[in-house]
Amino acid sequence: MSEMKKIKNLKEFSTSADRFEGANLLCPGCAHSIIVREILNATNDPLILSASTGCLEVCTAVYPYTSWDASWIHIGFENSSTAIAGAEAMYKTLKRKDRLPESCKGKSPKFVAFGGDGATYDIGFQWISGCFERGHDMMYVCLDNEVYANTGGQRSSATPIGASTTTSPAGRVSYGEKMNKKDMVQIMAAHGSPYVAQVAPNKWKDMIKKIQKGFATEGPVYINAMSACTTEWKFAPDDTIAVSDLAVDSLVFPLYEIENGTKLTITYRPKNKIPVRDYLGAQGRFKHLFKPEYEYLIDEWQKRVDDYWEYLQRREEAGV
Amino acid sequence: MKYLGWDELLPGAILFSFDEEMEKDAAEVLPENRPYAETNSYTAYVGDWRVLKPVYNRDLCIDCQFCWIYCPDVSIISRDKKMIGVDYDHCKGCGICVEVCPTNPKSLLMFEEQVENEKALAQWPEKE
Repeated sequence: MSEMKKIKNLKEFSTSADRFEGANLLCPGCAHSIIVREILNATNDPLILSASTGCLEVCTAVYPYTSWDASWIHIGFENSSTAIAGAEAMYKTLKRKDRLPESCKGKSPKFVAFGGDGATYDIGFQWISGCFERGHDMMYVCLDNEVYANTGGQRSSATPIGASTTTSPAGRVSYGEKMNKKDMVQIMAAHGSPYVAQVAPNKWKDMIKKIQKGFATEGPVYINAMSACTTEWKFAPDDTIAVSDLAVDSLVFPLYEIENGTKLTITYRPKNKIPVRDYLGAQGRFKHLFKPEYEYLIDEWQKRVDDYWEYLQRREEAGV
Repeated sequence: MKYLGWDELLPGAILFSFDEEMEKDAAEVLPENRPYAETNSYTAYVGDWRVLKPVYNRDLCIDCQFCWIYCPDVSIISRDKKMIGVDYDHCKGCGICVEVCPTNPKSLLMFEEQVENEKALAQWPEKE
């Protein structure tokens, strides 16, 4: 294995040469590209990437342009994980038979698949599950913006309860999405994956640490990256980092990691815990929850977040 | 640029990021030294998306690099740990860099697209 890139502080990190290019067509203020940049800059090793259909794929590969300065596979909605697993299997075989081209010898390429929450939680789920069961040495990154943003904001199974989307609109008879969000991190941990983590781009240091740990881990790694969506969460483009901060500090997106399927560690504890109400209030998709008839949902939400935080802390304490 | 038809592209519809092979991986070559191909979006322009543009004030900057890491469009240019400017070809004017700037007054501020940078720097606000 090659040496890990040393990133002591942000100044040192800023000397990285980006392998992701501007003039992609992602919305102004999109968190997807912040996440992708942080992941790509976390290593200097060659990268083999793929992306499931979603905002990231269609916006970074608008013919005749590509925004990737590394090998990148454009593939269907469900199979970015299997495409990258196939590439990884081929690499391993060629290496074993000593048939790698000269230019590829002595390097340790990293295999990373990107997918949105639709591609991860719903459409590509069985493919990802298969890859994790087979134990490919790869990383799967879910860019979790809790909605099918690319097709105009339909609900996915990552959409949290109460959110208004185009297929679960809030109005006179409904408060929006009725189902709770699926806990994908725990599901992937239950596959026995050696490393599973939840990250947020606004906590860059925590994120880089986890990504590098993921790269150093042999076997399938799952990263759930919170990606605040200015278009579908309905906040101003310049508030991306502020909203991400609210999500992390209100513990709606707790940052933690799970090793070998069981050992849970909380990696970030907010100094000042913010009420969930503030997080919801910053986004247009939860506007209707502040009407008197739906306000009980906010209290329920706060209780759910508190309970989950309690659960994480207990698991961390117990080391299981 | 000439757009190629589906049967004119390399099998597998491969698009190349660079015109020639580099000795090192792109991770070790700064953008100004890369042989960008026409098909790399680096050569494209999205500056016309902007309504407001970020203007950079070198005198106030402390080189914390928050703008560099949180820029979604790779438009903050940093070299040798120093922030040196904004790439107006790729900046979409989202304003994240201004929001995360910690100095007082901010060393990046949004101005109307048509205001010249010198004029913008002349009307910079005082410390609060």
